[in-house]
Formats: sequence, C-alpha cells, structure tokens
Amino acid sequence: MLHLDITGEFVAFFLLSVVMITGAVLTISLTKVVHMVVSLAAVFLGLAGMFVLLQAEFVAFVQVLIYTGAISILMIFGIMMTEHRAEGTDPVKPLHETLAAVAALSLFGLLFFAIRASDFPEPAPFPFGEDQTLEIGKLLYTGYLIPFELLSVLLTVAFIGAIALARKEAG
Amino acid sequence: MLSSYLTLAAILFCIGLYGALVKRNAVVVLFSIELMLNAVNLNLIAFAKYGAAPSLTGHIFTLFTISVAAAEAAVGVAVLIALFRSRGTVNIDEFDEMRR
Amino acid sequence: MQSIASYAWLVPLFPFVAFAVLLAFGRGFRTSGIVVGSAGSAASLIMSLLVLAERLGTNADDYNAGFEWIAIGEFTLRMGFEVTNLTTLMLVVVSLVSFLVNIFSAGYMRDDERITVFYAYVALFVSAMLALVLADNLLTFYFFWELVGVCSFLLIGFWYAKPEAKKAAKKAFVVTRIGDAGLLIGILLLFWHMPNRSLAFTDISNLFGQPGMADSGMTTLIALLLFLGAVGKSGQFPLHVWLPDAMEGPTPISALIHAATMVAAGVFLVARTYDIFLASPAAMDTVAFIGAFTALFAATIAVAQNDIKRILAYSTVSQLGYMMIALGLGSLAGGIFHLFTHAFFKALLFLGAGSVIHAVHTQDIREMGGLGARMKLTAWTFAIGALALAGIPPLSGFWSKDAILTAALAGHPALFAVGLLTALFTAFYMARLFFLVFAGKPKTGARAHESPAVMTVPLVLLAVPAIAAGFVEMPWNGWLGEWLTGTAEETHGGSLAFVASTAVGLLGIYLGWAVYAKGSIRRDAVSSRMPWLLRALERKYYIDEAYQRVAVRPLLALGRGLQAVDDYVVEGIVRFAGWSAIAFGRAGIRLQNGQAQTYGLTAVIGLLVLAALFVGRRFW
Repeated sequence: MLHLDITGEFVAFFLLSVVMITGAVLTISLTKVVHMVVSLAAVFLGLAGMFVLLQAEFVAFVQVLIYTGAISILMIFGIMMTEHRAEGTDPVKPLHETLAAVAALSLFGLLFFAIRASDFPEPAPFPFGEDQTLEIGKLLYTGYLIPFELLSVLLTVAFIGAIALARKEAG
Repeated sequence: MLSSYLTLAAILFCIGLYGALVKRNAVVVLFSIELMLNAVNLNLIAFAKYGAAPSLTGHIFTLFTISVAAAEAAVGVAVLIALFRSRGTVNIDEFDEMRR
Repeated sequence: MQSIASYAWLVPLFPFVAFAVLLAFGRGFRTSGIVVGSAGSAASLIMSLLVLAERLGTNADDYNAGFEWIAIGEFTLRMGFEVTNLTTLMLVVVSLVSFLVNIFSAGYMRDDERITVFYAYVALFVSAMLALVLADNLLTFYFFWELVGVCSFLLIGFWYAKPEAKKAAKKAFVVTRIGDAGLLIGILLLFWHMPNRSLAFTDISNLFGQPGMADSGMTTLIALLLFLGAVGKSGQFPLHVWLPDAMEGPTPISALIHAATMVAAGVFLVARTYDIFLASPAAMDTVAFIGAFTALFAATIAVAQNDIKRILAYSTVSQLGYMMIALGLGSLAGGIFHLFTHAFFKALLFLGAGSVIHAVHTQDIREMGGLGARMKLTAWTFAIGALALAGIPPLSGFWSKDAILTAALAGHPALFAVGLLTALFTAFYMARLFFLVFAGKPKTGARAHESPAVMTVPLVLLAVPAIAAGFVEMPWNGWLGEWLTGTAEETHGGSLAFVASTAVGLLGIYLGWAVYAKGSIRRDAVSSRMPWLLRALERKYYIDEAYQRVAVRPLLALGRGLQAVDDYVVEGIVRFAGWSAIAFGRAGIRLQNGQAQTYGLTAVIGLLVLAALFVGRRFW
C-alpha cells in the first residue's frame, strides 16, 4: 500500500497536520503560559484548515470564530486574572508523569491498532458542496430544533453562572 | 484518507490526555481539554465526509460540541478565577478536597 | 431402697467441693483451709466405707450409672461411674490414705505460706483420683488420668522457687506425657475397633472376654499401647526417671501421689482393662518382664542412694514392678492385693520419712543417726512399715509378696528368681535405711525431737493396716481374690515360696544389720572391690545421662531448628502477609490523595487494562 497519490488535498493535509501536532506539543511543553495560548491558537487554526479540507466550510468558519477568537481570548483573560508566572519545570511526581506518558502512548497504540485493523467502506460522494450553510440552517430549524433551543438555554445558564462565579464577592 | 484523519485525531487526543493528566497549572489543563475536544470534532467532520453515509449531521453535532465547549471554557475560567481568589493559586496539586 | 452404690458419685464430689471452696476463699484462711480440705476427704472416706460395707455383705451386682455427655450423629459418648469390687477397694484405699495425709500435712506444712493452695491442690487431686477410679469408660478415665497428672505436676513444683522442683515438675510432666500419648493412641485404636464404638469397661470386658478376639495383632497392639500409659504413670522402666525426681515435692505429696495412689493408677489401668491383656499372651509377657526388670533394677539403685526419699521412691518403682509381674502372670488378685497393702505401708514409710525430715531438716541419711531414741513413735511405726516392705511375716507386705511369688513360681521360674532377688535387695536397703537413720549415734541436730501428735497419729493409724491388711488374703484364705475376680485362685499352698521369701527377707535384714549397725562386715566390702558398680548404682545406671544424650539433646537441637524455621520462615511469611497488606493500604492511601489528576490517570489505566483484556481475548 505504498503508492501515494500526491494530490493537493494530501499536501495540504500534511502541512496542516504538521502545524497542528507541533502546536499541540508546544502547548504541552512550553513554559510560559502566554506562549502556550499562542501555540494552542495555531492548533485551532490548523483544525479550521482541516475542516475546509473536509468541505465543512461553515464549521471551519465557526471554529475560527469561536475557538481561535473567543476561547483563546477567554483563556488569556483567565491567565491574566489568575497567575501567569512560569510553570515549574522540575517534575515533582516522576512516577505519575511516567505512568501518564505510558498510558497516553498505550492509548494511542490501541487507537492506532484499531484504525489500522478497521475496514472502512468506500464512501459515497459528498453531496453538500454548494450552499452548505443553507442546508445546515434548514437542518437546525427542522430536525434539530429542540437541541438547538436547549443549547441556547445551556449557553445562557453557563454565562450567567460564569458571571456569578467570577464576580467579586459582595458579602 | 479517512484513517489519516483519524490517526491525526488520535495523536491530538493523546497529547491532550497527557497534558490533562500531568500539567499542574489548571489553565493549562483547560487547554489540554480543548485539545481533546478538537480531536473529537475532527473525527466527527471526517466521518461526515468519508463515512459510509455522508451527511450534514456530523456538522450539526460539531456545532453543538463547539457551543458546549465554549460554555465549558467560560464556566471553567470562572471557576478558576473564583478558586484563585479564595486560595491564591491555581496549582492543581493544592486542591485535594476530594480526599475528605 | 436404693443402694448406697448409686450415691457413689458423691465420693469424688466432696473433695471437689472442698477444692472449689478453697479456691474461692484463697489464702484468706489457714486453719479453716486445713479443716475444709480434711473434711472433704473425710466425707469421701465415710462414703467409701459405706459403699464397701454394702458390698462386703452381699454378693452385690456391679452398679453403673451415667448420662450422655456428647452426641455426635449416631455416636454418643457417655460419662458415668461404675461401682465394682475393684473400684470399691481402690476408693477405700485412696480416700483413707488421702484423709490421713491431709491430717499429717496440717503439721508438716504448718509454716508454709501457701498452705491453703496446697490443700486446694490436694483436694483437686483426691477428687480427680477418686473420679478416675469410678470412671466407667476409658475416655472419662483418660480425662481424670490427665487431671491427676496435672495435680502431680502442680504439687511436685509446689515449691517453685527451688529450681530443682521446677525441673522435676517439668520432667514428670514430659516423661509421663510419653506414656499418655501411648494411652491416647491405644484408646483411639480401641474406639476404632470396638463394634459399637463403646469405650465402656464392661463392653471392653465382654468383647475381649470372647475367645475369638484372642491373639490378634491388633489386640496386642492396643494392650501394649495401654500398657505404655501405665508404664509412664507407674514409673516402670524405661519411663521411671521422673518418679525419683518427683521427690522434690512436699513429703506428704510423695506419700499420697507418688507412693500410694496416682502411681498405682497404671496398675489399676491394667487391671481395669485386664481382658484385653488376657487376650494377648505377648502383651502379658511384656507386662511381666518389664515389671520384673523394673523391680530388680530399681531395687539395686535404691541400695546406693543416700537421700531418704529417693530410696523410698526407688522402692516404690520396684514394688510397682512387683505388681506388674503379678498382672503379667495372670494373677489379677495378686497385683491388686500388693497395690492394696503397698499403699498403706509405703504411705506410712513416706510419712515417717516426712516426720524425720521435719525433725532434722535434711534428707541425707548419712547425716542422720540415733533418732530412734528421741523419736520413738516415728521409729516404731517406721520399723513396722520397713518390715512390711521387707516382707517379714505376719505383716501385710509379706502376704501380698508371697501371693505374687507363688504365682511366679507356678508361672515362670525365672520371674520367681528375680522376685526373690528383689526381695533380698528390698530387705537390705530398708535395713540400711532404718539403721542409718534410727540407730547409732546422732551426727547432727541434737535438737531433733518427736513430731507433734497431728503428724504421729496418722502414722499410728497407717501402721494398723500395714500390719493387718494382709490378713484378707492368705495362702489358706483366698477371700480377696474371690471377692475381686469372682473365682477362687487355686495356686495357693506353695510352701516353697512361703519359706523362701521369709528367708530372703530375714537374710537381707541380717546383712543390713551386720553392715550398718553392728559393723561386722565392712561397709566398703563390695565397693572397694568393684568401685565402678557403686558408681553406676549411685548414678542410677546413667539412665538420665543416656536420655540426656540420646533424647533430650537431639530433641532440643530439633526444637531449635524448628524454632528457627518458625522465626524466619513462618514468621517471615506472616510478616510478609502483614507487610503486603499494609503496603497495599499505603498504596491505596497514596492513590486516594484527593487529586483529580491521579483519579483520572487511574481511570485511564483501568480503561486500558480492560481494553487490553477484550482485545487480547481475540488472539487466544
């Protein structure tokens, strides 16, 4: 199975995945928290690129808007409001970290094995290239109306709750 | 092509898992959780296109996930701020109330 | 009207009540303690005499009563008592001797601080001994057998501050335990082979009385194992070593337990299970020859001992051997008769020795002498006891010894010769003992004086049966034998035995007199020519040393080895178990540290293990 079609999609996928993995690793390994946010934003952007590759333009747009925009900014606020000194570099719990690394690697090994072993059926052509936003809108307001409304309630509750939690104690 | 996307998602997920289990700064743990969520989103979208029956449902689901993640991030940051105010730290080692 | 025998269970109960009272009131009272203890045995004595009176008059049937002790499935274990002529006789002997010893102890132990404890132990012993005599099955018998063993242990070690007493008590306990193990195995084998799993003496007697059971290997094995118990208890060779050492206990105890009653329990056991022995000629021969060997062997040792109580102890061993000879020759009546007379004169001798020790505060006969003039009553009663033991007619010992020798002459001439030789030695060492202690010039202790009446009266009272107890069975009057066994023995009338034993007894006394009183034969006449013989006798044929080397040291080494195994291997495993539990707990504590990340990690690892299990199952 070593014959590769060097298509445009492949090249783009390769570049984007390099960006994303690098960003993810940096997010974990950098010492300054602000740098971490920047690399995390790179992962978010890379993921948006992936969505475009997968013909999910609307979701990609939302990804950029919410993740790269809102959540990153929110995180920066979180950092500013708490503490932004450097993370301690020395491992305080070597056993814990080793075990966590082993567990993460094993989990990856398991997933990788599962992916390799699975036999995916040949996909049907993706029919929603044009006017995808319209289709999503129709779906949201027909089949998924109730979840959609519930989600809005959830968001409202979450924001009110966040405000209640974060505001300075009056008494 | 599908398995490439899935593998990438697995890599992201595992990195996020490791970070969530190891990092001591609670904010960084939140980042790691976002990484894991993103990995899931990638899976959803990839299946929406390359799955046996392509449809827009995966997209809808991703939208929901993103919204919930946003709410989670907001509440999480608010909790951290409240914790920081009462404890003076967001170092996760210091929180062991579950022992009692 | 109910027979008195149906109330025989009261006999052991009285001393037991006395024991309970003494135990409850502790050391609070001294005089009343003596009264309570003596009253208990006095009540037993009266009760025993009543039973005896009833049984003497008529040809009474054996009385047996009891209750179910344990019921396991179809098997039931009874606990009960049985009154036969044999047990009645033993009851009277035990209760009489114990009553007199109780009286005697009031004087002998007067200054002891723990006199109440002493009386409590004695009461417990008397109770156990009487119950042992009355027991109607082997298991109950064994129960009380062990109980008297415990009392013996407690009383030998009564002066536990003395290291010798402690050692002697331990030795007695361990050595008799060897015999007890044999007895227990014998009982278990018997239990296994009895058709209805009954251990009652009557059932045993009925079964083994049948001719079909005769001479099977199992019968011999059971008989020998039972005899092993008797060997341990009655101080027969090779388990005799504990009895002389047991003399470290108070002298009244030596008289009661280690001369008259408990050591006779072995003989009593053989007599009680006599039908098993009768069914096995090999076992009978073993009994006879072990008895004969022990009799001669112990008598020779007694010649060379210098401790007054040890001489008497070896004499006891020797006389118990005599009883065994009789039993082994098939003369049940002879053995029991000798047990009966021996109990009186040996108790008398021990109490007399106690009186002497009380006066001069030493046990070494070489430091005594000339006591006869100042302790007339003691000297006279002691002389009666000594003559009875030496077998001079018409004292009781003569008649019982004569019965045994007659049986031996009829059964086995070699045993007759051994018996005569033993009688010679017996007479000789008793003469030596008597003349060294009571004749000659006083060597120490000019202040020695007669003991108080409370001690001399029991001596006089014991002297009466020591003289007269033999008249119940004489060559021309087989009353006791008939009463005990129901059939008259016809071996009487051997005038050879009669004359020979008298002559031998007189010869022994003459020799003793010539050597130790008159001095016409030099004392070192034998020892100067054969010093090794004297040394061997003084060292008791090196038996103790041999045991030390053959049994004790290897066992100690084995014990150390096993202890090392226990310390390092067993305890190591135990410690490891404990340690691993603790370590597991510590790990649990560390895991339960309240931190979400640890919990998360645990959850992930658990998930992975589960996944590995499910995935792995596909491959095999």
